[in-house]
Amino acid sequence: MPTHKNVVLVVEDHPIIRSAALDFLESAGFEVIEASCADEAIRVLESRPEIHLVFTDVEMPGSIDGLKLSHYIKDRWPPIKLIVVSGRTFVEQGHLPLGARFFPKPYNENAIIEAMRRMLSETD
Amino acid sequence: MASVTSQHVEAASTLAVIASSNEPLLFLTADLNVIAASASFCRTFQIDAAGIPGRQLSEIGGGEWAIPQLNSLLAATARGTTPIEGYELELTLIGQKPRSLVLNARKLDDGDNDRVRLLLAISDVTAARAASREKDDLIREKAILLQEIQHRVANSLQIIASVLMQSARKVQSEEARGHLQNAHHRVMSIAEVQRHLAASSLGDVSLRPYFVQLCESLGASMIQHPNRLSIVATIDDSVVNANTSVSFGLIITELVINALKHAFPCNRHGKISVDFRSHGAKWALSVADDGIGMATGSDKAKPGLGTGIVEALAKQLGGKIIVQDLKPGTSVRVVYDEMVTRTAEARSIA
Repeated sequence: MPTHKNVVLVVEDHPIIRSAALDFLESAGFEVIEASCADEAIRVLESRPEIHLVFTDVEMPGSIDGLKLSHYIKDRWPPIKLIVVSGRTFVEQGHLPLGARFFPKPYNENAIIEAMRRMLSETD
Repeated sequence: MASVTSQHVEAASTLAVIASSNEPLLFLTADLNVIAASASFCRTFQIDAAGIPGRQLSEIGGGEWAIPQLNSLLAATARGTTPIEGYELELTLIGQKPRSLVLNARKLDDGDNDRVRLLLAISDVTAARAASREKDDLIREKAILLQEIQHRVANSLQIIASVLMQSARKVQSEEARGHLQNAHHRVMSIAEVQRHLAASSLGDVSLRPYFVQLCESLGASMIQHPNRLSIVATIDDSVVNANTSVSFGLIITELVINALKHAFPCNRHGKISVDFRSHGAKWALSVADDGIGMATGSDKAKPGLGTGIVEALAKQLGGKIIVQDLKPGTSVRVVYDEMVTRTAEARSIA
């Protein structure tokens, strides 16, 4: 077992969904950090190099959306794993950065946790 | 509007027919000299009728008909090689918006090979094209609006699902937690049909992909040890309307929740089979397990919310619930058979 907890950044503009996401990820044993838009997420990522995975919504206010954020992260911090969620049913896998996983909303929390564990164990 | 070429006098009746045509028409010689134009042509393209006969096509009006493509098309028509059929052209008139035209031209077959005559019909479809563009825009807007609504519904369902799961983690009572988790499964089951609806344009839902996906997501959220319990869906090619599919999906959700809750105590291994088939107006939906079977007598479970939901939905669909002891296990079938329903109706009328 790793002695440190994996750190997940949750990027979601809706406060209820964000707080619930922080809660289920914490219950699953992750250390969580939050951001309410892509711009804030980038600021957090610049100051917190220990983040392993970013869990982001797509439609959010701010200069870029979650999809563009995921590409920016893939480009700027290649090792970070990405999970993208959206209320739009068809975010095509081709629009996502390589290796990112997509889940339509409402997502199944267990499926998200399982995907995160699998993605994070690939590098550990 | 009679006109005279150097040696030949056109039949007055021909010229009268041309002049009175409702569709803009030009009557031309093989070298594109205009013999006559219909009054509708002069009106539509705002050209003085008096200035037309005897002029080259390229010279009439403000010279806007000097169009190289048109010249070469008409020349080919005059040679008898290719008539112009539905050729589309943008005509630019000075100080006006471009006009969309559809051209048709043919060589007149009057037996006179020395004097070739061409008839060019010009339909102004600018307004029709604008209307069809507007219609396309409306259709596109409608599609965007629909996507937006689906997006909002999905987000609202996410809020509800998030709150239910967060509450389920927080409550102390096992029983309350179970109820909250079941409420969450019901929301997810409705979300699943929403997704399948978004993918289908006509409001009809194909049951196999929907139920297979539904069973997978029920399994993913409710089964902790996939090697101990599994859900298998066998669904035929049935397609039903959205409302009916929601009812079927909720019945499956309730019956699967129920089987997982009661049929496999003490880490018992087993399988839940979900089956749907239809034939004509008849259909049968069944959820069967190979678990411990239903308790009887004093151990009999009190009917819960799930039972009420299944009964109400089955009734709405006109179906009949049949519970069977499979030894081992239990099967719950909801069947719609015209005979069954008709008898039921007859009884309710009597």
